[in-house]
Amino acid sequence: MKELQELAARLLTDGSAGVVIGYEEGPRGVRPAFVTRPDDVGRLIFDPRCVHNLATYLSPRRTHLKGLGRPAVVVKGCDARAVAGLLRESQLAREDVLLIAVRCGGVMRHPERHVDLRAETVADRCTSCDVREPHLFDFVVGEAPAAPPVTDRREARIRELEAGSPADRWAFWQEELSRCVRCHACRQACPMCFCERCVADKTQPQWVESSAHPRGVLAFHLTRAMHQAGRCVDCGECERACPADIPLGLLNRKLAHVVAERFGHHPSDDPSVPAPIGSYAQQDGQEFIL
Amino acid sequence: MARIGVFVCHCGENIGRTVDCARVADALREHPGVAHSVDYKYMCSDPGQALIKQAIAEKRLDGVVVAACSPHMHEKTFRRACAGADLNPFLCEMANVREHCSWIHEDRARATDKAIDLARTIVEKVKHNRPLQTIRIPVTRRALVIGGGIAGIQAALDIADGGAEVVLVEKEPSIGGHMSQLSETFPTLDCSQCILTPRMVEVYQHPRIKLMAYSEVDAVSGYIGNFTVKIRQKARAVDASTCNGCGACTKACIQRKIPSEFDERLGPRSAIYVPFPQAVPNTPVIDRANCAYFKAKAKGATKAACGKCAEACSRGAIDFDQQDSFVTEKVGAIVVATGFQLYRIGADQPQGLTGYGEYGYGTVPDVIDGLQFERLASASGPTGGKILRPSDGREPKRIVFLQCVGSRDPAKGMAYCSKICCMYVAKHTMLYRHKVHDGQATVFYMDIRAAGKGYDEFTRRAIEEDGARYVRGRVARLYRDGDVIKVHGFDTLSGEPLVLDADMVVLATAMRPQPGIEALAQKLSVSYDQHGFINEAHPKLRPVETNTAGVFVAGACQAPRDIPDSVAMASAAASKILGLFSQAELEREPTVARVDTGLCSGCFHCERVCPYGAVERREIRDRKGNLLKVVAEVNPGVCQGCGTCQATCPSKSVELDGFTDQQIWAEINALAL
Repeated sequence: MKELQELAARLLTDGSAGVVIGYEEGPRGVRPAFVTRPDDVGRLIFDPRCVHNLATYLSPRRTHLKGLGRPAVVVKGCDARAVAGLLRESQLAREDVLLIAVRCGGVMRHPERHVDLRAETVADRCTSCDVREPHLFDFVVGEAPAAPPVTDRREARIRELEAGSPADRWAFWQEELSRCVRCHACRQACPMCFCERCVADKTQPQWVESSAHPRGVLAFHLTRAMHQAGRCVDCGECERACPADIPLGLLNRKLAHVVAERFGHHPSDDPSVPAPIGSYAQQDGQEFIL
Repeated sequence: MARIGVFVCHCGENIGRTVDCARVADALREHPGVAHSVDYKYMCSDPGQALIKQAIAEKRLDGVVVAACSPHMHEKTFRRACAGADLNPFLCEMANVREHCSWIHEDRARATDKAIDLARTIVEKVKHNRPLQTIRIPVTRRALVIGGGIAGIQAALDIADGGAEVVLVEKEPSIGGHMSQLSETFPTLDCSQCILTPRMVEVYQHPRIKLMAYSEVDAVSGYIGNFTVKIRQKARAVDASTCNGCGACTKACIQRKIPSEFDERLGPRSAIYVPFPQAVPNTPVIDRANCAYFKAKAKGATKAACGKCAEACSRGAIDFDQQDSFVTEKVGAIVVATGFQLYRIGADQPQGLTGYGEYGYGTVPDVIDGLQFERLASASGPTGGKILRPSDGREPKRIVFLQCVGSRDPAKGMAYCSKICCMYVAKHTMLYRHKVHDGQATVFYMDIRAAGKGYDEFTRRAIEEDGARYVRGRVARLYRDGDVIKVHGFDTLSGEPLVLDADMVVLATAMRPQPGIEALAQKLSVSYDQHGFINEAHPKLRPVETNTAGVFVAGACQAPRDIPDSVAMASAAASKILGLFSQAELEREPTVARVDTGLCSGCFHCERVCPYGAVERREIRDRKGNLLKVVAEVNPGVCQGCGTCQATCPSKSVELDGFTDQQIWAEINALAL
């Protein structure tokens, strides 16, 4: 913690960063912090309750942060993957951001409810994450952590759904998506949803119905899942942001499996690894071509 | 309200047999926005087109739908007719009620209903069509020819004689290609070098041809009329501007036993060498892998290990420090004429094939391939034109020729016919008999393919006048037995196995494209087949064009070709290019992609998926010059309108003019009406 605070103070003092984006204690738990003065670095914390993906603030569409100067962002492994995604898709130039990587041994699923990190409380994504220390960084802080607790919760759920019939899956998603009110919080929280104008907001013509009618809800979530295929960094922000507790992570995770199987692609914090949407390989499957 | 005219074509019986065209016209007349609807026997005929023009004028139509054949067939015809009646041609669309309807259905009533639906979808689309203007792009009147074989030479000369400049790039030290290696050519038996070398010299001396031998195309960018080509000039280690081609260096070279590529490894050459005496340009090149100086240097020697060539050179032209250099050329059109290689069994088995080990090629010295026989028969060859066995230098009295080695064999080789082997084997038997009067040539063949002017007469002559013995059948195995080669074959006409003693065996191995053709094709964005042959744009109607506008193909890199074919293709490509260069500006269809720069987020997925490299980056700045964002922009000169970017764009910020979201949406909705 002290190491992080001292680093933040140094960066703000010598002017290499205009704002340090990290985490602080808020009235209702941990929240993102925007520290612009060296005197305030004492607010910065990092512990397993720091679930937020702060790379979301690096999207060029977040223009209100632009006036604060060059950001130095605290990133965990999953967040570094998001930064790599933004670099890969030309949303960010590497020199425009400083990355303070934190060594991370997993975060909690519901930080407001839990006190310690156990198999029951660990976030789904952390179990399948082997990045204790991000590879994309300018500074690394923190002590080497233990590996996160292991849980098979999410994968078991996917296997269970896969085992069911298409009708079962249809019933499951109809039920889950019936709660969607189209608030689009999943989209707003997602670091990889950075479009100037989301296709779901297109009106001429309107491919995706905008009301919370099941037609539009299904079209929206399927479109979003397809747009995330091979791009999703598995940070869990969509699911965390959803006020209706729709298990969106299952959709994204399933597509990640498909992409891994089809194209051998895994989300990476190396921006030079091309996303499957824009790359070809000789061994890409072609059996769909008649 | 739209005023759209619908014109339903019977296509003689083609559509009318299955679709009630009058009912289609009647139904469409009732469709909202349709001001005029008729049917006619042949809409593409003059009177049919006149109907359209007349209706545009009389009914003040603002859109035309022709329900007829595929737009591939007649879209241009009908758009031209509309333009003739002062209607923007891009307000005219076709509903395909032939290929998509009458040809594939039998039930007349249901086919008619479907035809009505198809016509309605296009009417709804046309309501959203916008007038488009033909794109005009400037043309650089300069051509690049890749490959200096006979096809490349012919193309370069024809283009240059037509008045345009040509850059001819050849990867070998000399132009001439495979034709320069041949002894005589079928079916006239005229000397290959005698007819080729004057053309090579002509290329060298032509004021409008820039010859770049020992060079390769490194990168290609741009589009028809405006290509930029980066060419790597490989270091010869000889300064071409001071060298006078005296040959003193090659005589002085201490490495003298390197197998000559030109002589198909049957004769030696030195490390500094000119491939053959008539080479153009006649400038030697140092083969760095075999040169004593460079070998020692590669091992880290600090002192020069050899320098005999430099000592022998009276003009100081040897430059051991010469490096590869790069030249950038602007051209308007490109001819690919990279030619072929022979399938060398064992040496380069393509795609994991392991066939023909039983023929002993590469292990039995007297089993040679067709090009090696050419060198033996050539007056400039390693034996001075005497047919002698590579193993002991004796004159072979019995030669067995095997046709279709690797060709027409999907199991062990290539499925295609290499086309030239029947003819050159017949030629070889004749050359052999002319040089060895008591020699016996035996040919194993599958069947004789001698289609061509004077070709069948030529093979008959080989059999009837020059005593070649043709055996229909395959050879199962060859092996060396003391001094002779035992040939185990099967005569399928008599139905009997056959064992022959041969002094030499010549394999007519398959023609394959040059190695590295795939990489070149990828640089040029042209497609190639599973064997690596460059695909033509249309097998019948556009045989020398490729699917990339401005890139043409000539000779054996497209498919196995003989010399007359290659020359004809080269001249055809040249005439296409001269036609292209005759215009000051090129006209292009305006159905190209357009980026809404306001909506573009600059993720550049479109740039990554564009097969034509048409997507560029544009910076958007405010009035003070601050960078606001970088967006994608489509170069309409390069864009071919394939729509991949439109499909890939996550925010649907790309539209393809003529196929906009709004138009497709209207088409889909029409089906629900």
